[in-house]
Amino acid sequence: MVSASSIVVKVWQLSKAYRNHRAIENVSLEIRRGEIFGLIGPDGAGKSTLMKIVAGVLSFDKGTVRVFDIDLNSETSAERIKQRIGFMPQGLGLNLYADLSVEENIDFFARLRDVRGGELKRRKEKLLAMTRLDRFTDRPMKHLSGGMKQKLGLICTLIHEPELIILDEPTTGVDPVSRRDFWEILTELIHYQNITAIVSTAYLDEAERFHRLAFMYGGKVIGDGDPETLRASFPKVVIEVATQDQVEVLERLRSVFPQVNGLGGRIRVFADRTISKGSLDRIFGEIGINHFEEVEPSLEDVFAMLIEPGSSNPQLDRTRGKVVAPRLNEDLPSKGKHTFKESIPNCHGETVIEAYNLTRDFGSFRAVDNVSFEVRRGEIFGLLGANGAGKTTLIKMLTGILSPTSGEGKVAGSDIRRAGREVRERIGYVSQSFSLYQDLTVVENMRLFAGIYGISGKRASVRIEEVSEMTGLGGYEKELAKRLPMGIRQRLALACAIIHFPEILFLDEPTSGVDPLGRRRFWSILSNLVGNEKVAILITTHYMSEAEHCDRLALMHGGRIVANDSPVALKAQLRADIGELLVVKARNLQKVLGPLRSIFPNASFFGNKVHVFASDPERAKDKILETVGRDEIVEITSQDPTLEDVFVFRITQLERMERT
Amino acid sequence: MNIKRIIAISHKEWREIVRDRFFLALAFVVPSTMLLVFGYGLILDVENIPFCVVDYDKTPTSRDYIYRFIGSRYFNFRGTVEHEELLRPLFEASKIRFALIIPEHFERDLRAGRSVTVQSLIDGVFPFRAATSKGYVLAMNRDFNGEILADYFSKKFGIPLDRAFELAQPVRIQLRYLYNQELRSTWSIASAMIMFVLMVSPPFLTAMGVVREKESGSIYNIYCSTVTRGEFIVGKLVPYVFISVLNSLILWAWTKFLFGAPFKGDPVFFFFASVVYVICTTGIGLLVSLMVRTQVAAMMVTIVLTVVPSVLYSGLFIPISSMEPIGQFQSHLFPAMYFTDIVLGSFLKGVGIKHLWDRVVALALYAGLLWVISFMLFSKRPRS
Amino acid sequence: MGFTLWWIRLWSLTVKELLQFSRDGFLIIAITYMFTLDIWLSGNIHIELHRASMIFKDADQSEFSRELISRFRSPYFRMEGEVFSENEAVSLLDRGEAILLIDIPEHFQQDLLSRRSVDVQLMIDGSNTIIGTLTSTYGSQIIGEYSLDIGLDLLRFHLDRLEAIPRVELRPRVWYNPNQEDERFLPISELLTVITICGLMLPAAAAVREKERGTIEQLLVSPLTPAQIMIPKVFSMTLVVLIGTMVSVFGVIKGIFVIPIKGSLIFFFSTVVLYTIAVSGMGLFISTFTKNLAQVAMLVLVVAMPVVLLSGAWTPPEAMPLWLRRAIHLSPLYYFIEMSYGILLRGAGFEVLWLHFLGLFLLGSGAFIFGAYRFRRQFG
Repeated sequence: MVSASSIVVKVWQLSKAYRNHRAIENVSLEIRRGEIFGLIGPDGAGKSTLMKIVAGVLSFDKGTVRVFDIDLNSETSAERIKQRIGFMPQGLGLNLYADLSVEENIDFFARLRDVRGGELKRRKEKLLAMTRLDRFTDRPMKHLSGGMKQKLGLICTLIHEPELIILDEPTTGVDPVSRRDFWEILTELIHYQNITAIVSTAYLDEAERFHRLAFMYGGKVIGDGDPETLRASFPKVVIEVATQDQVEVLERLRSVFPQVNGLGGRIRVFADRTISKGSLDRIFGEIGINHFEEVEPSLEDVFAMLIEPGSSNPQLDRTRGKVVAPRLNEDLPSKGKHTFKESIPNCHGETVIEAYNLTRDFGSFRAVDNVSFEVRRGEIFGLLGANGAGKTTLIKMLTGILSPTSGEGKVAGSDIRRAGREVRERIGYVSQSFSLYQDLTVVENMRLFAGIYGISGKRASVRIEEVSEMTGLGGYEKELAKRLPMGIRQRLALACAIIHFPEILFLDEPTSGVDPLGRRRFWSILSNLVGNEKVAILITTHYMSEAEHCDRLALMHGGRIVANDSPVALKAQLRADIGELLVVKARNLQKVLGPLRSIFPNASFFGNKVHVFASDPERAKDKILETVGRDEIVEITSQDPTLEDVFVFRITQLERMERT
Repeated sequence: MNIKRIIAISHKEWREIVRDRFFLALAFVVPSTMLLVFGYGLILDVENIPFCVVDYDKTPTSRDYIYRFIGSRYFNFRGTVEHEELLRPLFEASKIRFALIIPEHFERDLRAGRSVTVQSLIDGVFPFRAATSKGYVLAMNRDFNGEILADYFSKKFGIPLDRAFELAQPVRIQLRYLYNQELRSTWSIASAMIMFVLMVSPPFLTAMGVVREKESGSIYNIYCSTVTRGEFIVGKLVPYVFISVLNSLILWAWTKFLFGAPFKGDPVFFFFASVVYVICTTGIGLLVSLMVRTQVAAMMVTIVLTVVPSVLYSGLFIPISSMEPIGQFQSHLFPAMYFTDIVLGSFLKGVGIKHLWDRVVALALYAGLLWVISFMLFSKRPRS
Repeated sequence: MGFTLWWIRLWSLTVKELLQFSRDGFLIIAITYMFTLDIWLSGNIHIELHRASMIFKDADQSEFSRELISRFRSPYFRMEGEVFSENEAVSLLDRGEAILLIDIPEHFQQDLLSRRSVDVQLMIDGSNTIIGTLTSTYGSQIIGEYSLDIGLDLLRFHLDRLEAIPRVELRPRVWYNPNQEDERFLPISELLTVITICGLMLPAAAAVREKERGTIEQLLVSPLTPAQIMIPKVFSMTLVVLIGTMVSVFGVIKGIFVIPIKGSLIFFFSTVVLYTIAVSGMGLFISTFTKNLAQVAMLVLVVAMPVVLLSGAWTPPEAMPLWLRRAIHLSPLYYFIEMSYGILLRGAGFEVLWLHFLGLFLLGSGAFIFGAYRFRRQFG
């Protein structure tokens, strides 16, 4: 039983509509003291609206919202909770003041909350030390990296020691290392200060860390509970297959199973629980797969199942027709279906992007330092790196927006310094921040970009139809771009970037802030472009699962490329360097991390587990059980490292080297 | 009202303004530039009116008549033309603003004691200048008439010419300009410009400042904190009011020392009134910023609300008392008019609080009203 | 490539600009207001002495003095009352309750009848020069006429025949605006100012908005040349201004004020187009120096004020000091005003105004080319 006083937030039959669309419909929730409550759902599901209402900064239409037993029914009553809450709105550092320094930002938030004097000094020192921002107190906020901005935002939200913090997508657009850092700090704070937190996220691995969570879809809560229970309710079994030839295998699997997803080098198959091991062996054998394993369903799987159209989930039917549901099992296009270009010159493998010692300085700061690489036609080249590693600057140089300080670059055979118009007709670009016209509709945006590239009249209409079918924008044509959920917006950005049949695509964090379903959809479009039109793609992302799709990856750090190879080779290299990956599942992560770090300094959080590398896995297992205690450990398994492991390990290693 | 929170907000706003050097520079450059440009460029003395003559008579008398105009500082002789048909293109190209057409037999008729009609053409495109020019022309003509009349009397009655002149023009005019003995337009323009500049620039600064916060999303920090609406509005605007008050001092100095306008009033009172006025115009900016969503709209609405009324309804060019009732009514609706009285009163007239207190009260009421409306419009828990 | 491609790009981007414009309700309201109500309001304003409040001090209290005082009347003056001391008068002037005092001395009538000349004092509030000038002009005129009249009257019985008195009748004829109606001047001048502000501001705002929202990046990676990005902005905003001007001319200036238009409207509208393009170029040039709209707004103010002022809209060139008279040729509004008044009020044609047309064209294309050059230079 939960006593009434331990309920911090109680939402009952809440509804909210903006001018002509419903944001939230009949939502009821309870959040208890001391828990991290997660909100998960696709873009436009109503998460931000709900959080703003609970924070008392947005009025609503129907229902009741009680925070700390105060009924938020007027502006005056909403005022009464505000000293006790902290709210961080969506958008990386958007609520901070760009021209003010780290310390000035903190001081402002503190004074706003009447925190001053010795108390302020004490809290500031503690939080700065914890977030390792203490060395940068004089730096203007606009010169911080994304991860640091996010930490600063957290400090500013926590400076008045609120009892309830509301964080709207705090980790969107933040690289994996900083994300991990952020969560460590957050968990620690919540643990020690008995804070209640409401957090929304687009990363489902983070969702594993929530005590309880709610899935939102179309303005409704379609499922809530703790992660274990939700997982247990998953109606199917998940089978994972590792394969090199994804397209082929996917097609064959699809003919047997209704739900199959390709993700990186793996394919996940959802099979009925009733299916026997024997029949599975037989089916996979026929397809030509000998090695497969059953895995625990992830929250992403649960989420996908909850909103999958055509599933028997009755909750879904209510939402249909209001939101165009993202279809999960996108058919990867069969070859030749979208042959927009009559004849693609037979030049597969031809180098289309070349960089030789590219360097760019901003004043005394070197953003890109001596970078060289090549990208071929029909290849997806991924650029990974922390915020501020120089990825965006590099792309801006290659697209001709910025000119390099030194070095050379060639795109489609032409020097980027003199990037002529012919070259620019052959490239497409999706920038980090949405750079289309928000006050134009989807079709108007597409028509504009068609026109810019000289496609007009009937040809434009045909092409727009093609592209919107390809990117799944049907049904949104007349919507203003600013009203679109993030995921749809990014698809529109892609649609506009490919409308003129570019041969080279530059995509700068195109999926940042896009929910998992949207991201899958996005990548299936990309693989179509690469597969059928032999487009060369240069892409940056913070989602390591996406990086698995790349043919080659370059890891950037401090403006340099520190590794450049295929995903498989990168993982192999990691193994060769530091050994096998052990995944530790424990009862209380907070408790085991310290001891684990004492034996394995590289131990780090991954969702609700800890990853550890050891050259001798068997001995390491014993050592872990010994040091941490058998009771604390649920399970230790050895797994293939993911790209996320590669990224986290390589970058933390480099950061550690820099510090010493 | 928690004064510490207000200071916190003001401090933050001030730091932000200071960091945007370009904006800060403009905040001070714009008002002074406006004052200097208008002070030097807006010349309302009607002098050197370019004119042309068509003299069909070509006699000593006609030339004497014309010379009166040529010799006057009000007119600038541009030559004679042979025929009045040739005048039109000169007018059309703005080469001349005024023309005299002296008929044939001008001298003969006058000698014969007959009345003569002289035609004059005035460019009516600038009504104020046309009216003034007309006044000058008529005055010239009157003097000439007085002289020929005196001449006539002197001959007729056999009295000395100066005595005859007294008989012909028995009433003499003594003009005395109060407050501005030489009627220097620079003085009155420069001081009135303080009104104009302080009407236009503070709302611009303010509107941009608040809309910026709305657009970036940092307004949520305010929404979700315990800062009250009043604290936010006051704290947010204090830096802008401060900048504008500084500007008012700079403008005062320009007007006094550069343009040499005499400041005869009470400096303390004038400063106080300027502060009230600046608070008032800042309030206009605040109101605009709370109403509109985009910065472009903020800009345009601000222009509409400030530039137009302060030119037309302030008494700057057009005396309020001369307006139609509707115009007078509108004038009283805008704060510009009250401050025009205060500026001119303090600078040129040298009157103080005794005569002008009601204007200050009106401004204070206006400011209060604006701030109250803004207070009501601003919600910490908006609908969207 | 070639003409078709150019045209398609131009068209697509122009449509885009217009669509964006149409989505900002407040902006449309503000622009509509400027082109209609604002013009109308300015037509109801008279820069003219109209029933100016005045007072009199009559130490004589005679028939003659009353006759003189009674001549100060509508439409120029309005007698507010009598004062009995100069202090009282000054205090009324101080408070702004009167702007003119006529002070008639003792023995006014007696002196006149005994053929002595007398002084009448006009005390004028000089704090507002315009009003001061007008007051003294009209005041002197009234007294001057009275003087001549009384002079003649007093001598009348000595004269034989009335018509024998020689006198020059001056018939001032005011061209283009016969009754000096301000509703001809002010609405047109206001319209020209509105065109200037919109022409400067709208394209500049459209350009800096692209920078602020990052949409410019998408255009920079496309094969568009700087000119191709700029021209549609100028094009579309010129169209907006042109439509506004037409509404204003047909609806307000011709419609409500019934101001007769002397020249060719087509010529006028072409001038408007040329002018708007010229100031748009300046606006775009300004926008290249700024990061955000706040800065644009301030800079536009700095630039617009001199442009408006140095144009002859308020001060004709001949009244300016020499250096200003030279600088005036740099203000596009100068050419525009000359042309607009020339066409609308004086009926001038191209043959008279071609030089102005050329000046406007040169200034416009100069600003535009410079703007396009800066536009690309500001990145990278």
